Amino acid sequence: MSILLQTEGLRVANRKAAEDIQSSQAATAAVTQLMSEPAGVAKRSLVTKKALATGIPEAEIIERAKEGDGACFEALYSLHKRRVYSLCLRMTGNTAEAEDLTQEAFLQLYRKIATFRGESAFSTWLHRLSVNVVLMHLRKKGLPEVSLEETLEPTEEDGPKKDIGACDQVLAGSIDRVNLERAMESLPPGYRIIFVLHDIEGYEHNEIAEMMGCSIGNSKSQLHKARMKLRDLLRVIRPMRAAGKK
Amino acid sequence: MNCAEFQRDLPLIIDTGGTEEQEDHLRSCEVCRDLVNDLRYIAEQAKLLIPMLEPSPKVWKGIEEKLKDQGLVKPVQVRRTL
Ligand SMILES: [Zn+2]
Repeated sequence: MSILLQTEGLRVANRKAAEDIQSSQAATAAVTQLMSEPAGVAKRSLVTKKALATGIPEAEIIERAKEGDGACFEALYSLHKRRVYSLCLRMTGNTAEAEDLTQEAFLQLYRKIATFRGESAFSTWLHRLSVNVVLMHLRKKGLPEVSLEETLEPTEEDGPKKDIGACDQVLAGSIDRVNLERAMESLPPGYRIIFVLHDIEGYEHNEIAEMMGCSIGNSKSQLHKARMKLRDLLRVIRPMRAAGKK
Repeated sequence: MNCAEFQRDLPLIIDTGGTEEQEDHLRSCEVCRDLVNDLRYIAEQAKLLIPMLEPSPKVWKGIEEKLKDQGLVKPVQVRRTL
């Protein structure tokens, strides 16, 4: 097995583990205070704020949210808003759309929360729901289906670049977060979605294929093209930024 | 194996690892090695993009209103002051 593959696999596993720990710690923190506060309704808003400092199992918040407890809804929002919003923003590349979609995702969450049975982690469940909200929106908007249905056959445009060796700079060590976010915004939507789902969010190709309604091969092919395109974009952005600093 | 052949199979090489021949090419060809390193680097950097973008407060305001309109929450007597 190549080193390449090993590091990739490990990284995905590490990331998911770290995420679970992070999420469960935050959740625990979010509710301890909630439960230890007096039950008075008047205390609720204060409770929500304080809820983020100490801990109770997230399961407790979820159960209370299922019963229509507004403070628990808000606690869930506070815990998960960044992750959901980041996903929406990166997938759409548009702030206004991302805000609307975040709102829609949480409204759906609240409508469906009674059906959450705890088979998966809550964050995983919410995240999946959010991805579906975004995909649904993009489909309505007319997500360029063509780009999702391309086959693995390389086209001339996507094939090996003849001038690939002409550029002797390598990217290593040169990308910062701002660069990468900017480059991602310039990706065609189909590429961007797969890149976000796989490389940022850590979904597997089979999961992406299922969500997108495309083949696993397409998902892999799109991801590769997305990374190649990003490489081109980053090579342009970087010298521009360097020049701008002088 | 030349660069074109190597790069044609690149998605598969990155996905499942290369054959002996492909790994040989990788060791001997700087161009393809740079390419593979760049693609790997991009994927690594992407994984470091933590989901910490903060939504505007108006997002929660909108949710709160709709929750009330749709009767999804029990009435709360004291509004939060944040
Ligand atoms: Zn080569």
